[in-house]
Amino acid sequence: MASSYSIDLDQDPCAIITKREFDAPRALVFEVWTDPKHLAQWWGPKGFTTTTSAFDLRVGGVWRFVMHGPDGRDYQNRITFDEIVKPERIRYHHGGGDDLEPVQFRTTATVEDLGRNRTRLTLHAIFPSAAERDRVIKEYHADKGGGNLGPARRSFGQIARLSVN
Amino acid sequence: MGPDPLSATFAALADPTRRAILARLAGGEASVNELAKPFAISGPAVSKHLKVLERAGLITRGREAQRRPRRLALRALQSLDAWLADYRRLWEQRLDRLDDYLDTLQGKPKGDASR
Repeated sequence: MASSYSIDLDQDPCAIITKREFDAPRALVFEVWTDPKHLAQWWGPKGFTTTTSAFDLRVGGVWRFVMHGPDGRDYQNRITFDEIVKPERIRYHHGGGDDLEPVQFRTTATVEDLGRNRTRLTLHAIFPSAAERDRVIKEYHADKGGGNLGPARRSFGQIARLSVN
Repeated sequence: MGPDPLSATFAALADPTRRAILARLAGGEASVNELAKPFAISGPAVSKHLKVLERAGLITRGREAQRRPRRLALRALQSLDAWLADYRRLWEQRLDRLDDYLDTLQGKPKGDASR
């Protein structure tokens, strides 16, 4: 039973952090994010190729591309840039739809100079989007203690509180 | 139109109280009352968290008339687990390629041994 899933419930699974260090100067690690010619060389994982149809690197600008899978399937992708701070940070979000990364992640890529020509890239992906969080709160009033409950449920609440103390 | 199931799972797990409830249920089924005990929040507040978890497919409700014990539904956690594994694999492969590409750009031999 214990090994049927491995979600760590002490951690917020909505924040995923990935780090990698490279033997390359920071300016170069930043640059490979900023040109579709570079991105075509690495963005697709193993066996994938990437074709860009639009690339507009500025805040609010969109990168539209297709990832061609090894199985012949095409994955339409849309990334919108939210922040560009050369040469240290790019923030972007995915659009949804047929994306390979199907949910609305917001990602921050941070590029750190470690000296001696070494650079650390940290990817911090966050879900859900603020809108999704708001929807949950609105739909379930998840942020409130529940003001408009009937007397029966209120007394249940008091019993629960008593047993907490 | 609701979000995709994965979005609902993520949203449900964003809250530490709900994760604690799931952790408790991982040890076996429990009634709302039993679930409320360890938390400094009201029964109705716990019920709301349970509703979010139920809508996300993370828990189910037992038939037993009075207690209606909640149970962990493994399937949603498993699909989240699988998705996270895919996500990590995607980035691992992407960063492997980036590593090779950076070497190529710097005129180093491909598939270096320094990793």
